[in-house]
Amino acid sequence: MSEAVAALEAERLGKKYGRRPVLENITFAVQPGEVYALAGPNGSGKTTLIRLLTGLAFPTSGVVRMLGQDVYNGGYVARRALGAVVEAPAAFYPHLTGRQNLEMIAFLTGLSKMETRIREVLARLELLSVADQPVRTYSLGQRQRLGLASAILHEPQILILDEPTSGLDPQGINKVHEILAELAWKGVAVLLSTHHLREVSAYVDKVGILGGGRLLEEVKLSTKGETYRLRVDDPARAAAFLKTVPGVQNVSLRGVNVIFEGSPNVALAALVREHYQVQFLEPDYFDLYDYYRERIKNV
Amino acid sequence: MLRVLIWEFGKLVRLRSVQIGLLAALVLPVLWAFAPGLRAQYGLELVSGWQVPALSLLTGMDFLFPFLTAMAAAEVLGSEVSMGTLKSVLLRPSPRSRLLLAKIIVVLAYPFILLAVSLAGSLVAGLPFGLGSFFGGTGLGAGSFAGVGQLSPAEALLELLRAHALAGVVLWPLSALAMLYAVIFLSTTSAALAAVSTLLLMRLLIAFPALQPFLLTSYLDLYIRPAAVGLGLPLLIIYTVGFAVLALLIFERKDI
Repeated sequence: MSEAVAALEAERLGKKYGRRPVLENITFAVQPGEVYALAGPNGSGKTTLIRLLTGLAFPTSGVVRMLGQDVYNGGYVARRALGAVVEAPAAFYPHLTGRQNLEMIAFLTGLSKMETRIREVLARLELLSVADQPVRTYSLGQRQRLGLASAILHEPQILILDEPTSGLDPQGINKVHEILAELAWKGVAVLLSTHHLREVSAYVDKVGILGGGRLLEEVKLSTKGETYRLRVDDPARAAAFLKTVPGVQNVSLRGVNVIFEGSPNVALAALVREHYQVQFLEPDYFDLYDYYRERIKNV
Repeated sequence: MLRVLIWEFGKLVRLRSVQIGLLAALVLPVLWAFAPGLRAQYGLELVSGWQVPALSLLTGMDFLFPFLTAMAAAEVLGSEVSMGTLKSVLLRPSPRSRLLLAKIIVVLAYPFILLAVSLAGSLVAGLPFGLGSFFGGTGLGAGSFAGVGQLSPAEALLELLRAHALAGVVLWPLSALAMLYAVIFLSTTSAALAAVSTLLLMRLLIAFPALQPFLLTSYLDLYIRPAAVGLGLPLLIIYTVGFAVLALLIFERKDI
């Protein structure tokens, strides 16, 4: 309760089609500046959840708040802070040019000084050269980038994207990740659904794993890069020893490896001083994809 | 709202059903004007170009115009659903009711566009028969095609405009009904079929005489029955407003 108002908050969200529950009791929050990835196998309810979060669909139970405002009963005003792409590829009027589509969106969003801002986002997404061509001539990747351009057009505080890198080439994928990481750094709350967990794990703060319509787990990645692993001749004894070393925390055993947080130099020096044979020491990059596969195996 | 309306009209004229409908409305009068079996069918010998619009209207209102109206109204929303653009529009901080209201206004205007094109096509097709004064009737005023004496071009045009305007209002409930079904089913085909089926079903209800004065199908020929306008016109408008309000209410909480 002491935390500031979450940018995006789902509380006990549930959706049934007839008597069949599609989503049950989903509760999570995305803070300003946080990147939250939704992962889950096909049919796990990701798309339904995104439709509920954006106010396109209505829940059977629960509530969604954007900057504290109820999305369902607060009227369309609650969506002022929202930028979203809920389909891959993003849908546009094919007979209109990319620029005209953005002009229409800018008008509906109530954006002032739209021409300057439209030029800015088109340039940012490298679409200026095709801006005046009808969208029906766009490639899949160009449409996807135009989707992101439309979502960030009014500089939203909350960004919700369904599979934002779907259909993009490696260069386009990097561009999208770069923009999302930059927006989060500027304080935008980003929620995205993805199957490409390794791609996003570099800048995602939390991953919500959906399975069978429930939020199975929230994995926090905020400590990423500060965890190390080492292999040593007697891992159990070495782990017990490291727990006593100041500057080394959260020591645990994973198979034959010792995992710890804190200073690698301090840990290494202490182990050498105690005559342990250290075979290697390296950063322990958390493999989100492996973890995810393991987590949903029995769902 | 004006800008949204302009967009909606722009989208309307790009719909396939609208393009086909307008083409049909423009070309069909030519067929009627020169149909060799016209006399056998209607016992009619065309004496003036002012009589061609009535032929187009009478035959069109039998099924073609109601069907085209229902198709267009259903496609106005259904095409946005199938293209995925409805979602992107509804994500913006703009009331759902404004968007649907703009669509309803456009689909209510469409029957008049369709009938105006049919009238224009009919008058062009009637040119070879002449568009001057003539003895007889337009088929849409007093005395039908036989008329009640000499008719000046201005009088003939006025009769045609009045009848076409009334025919447009007759098509309103069907437009609104197709829009209501489009909101419910979010599909062009289902909505158009449901609207046409409802119309056909209502026609069968004339078997219940007590219901007959209140059925919208009892007034589909209102444009040639000026005497029924007093009861028919308000009833058609009530049906239209009722269907439109229902569509707006459902759309407000509809899962997209």
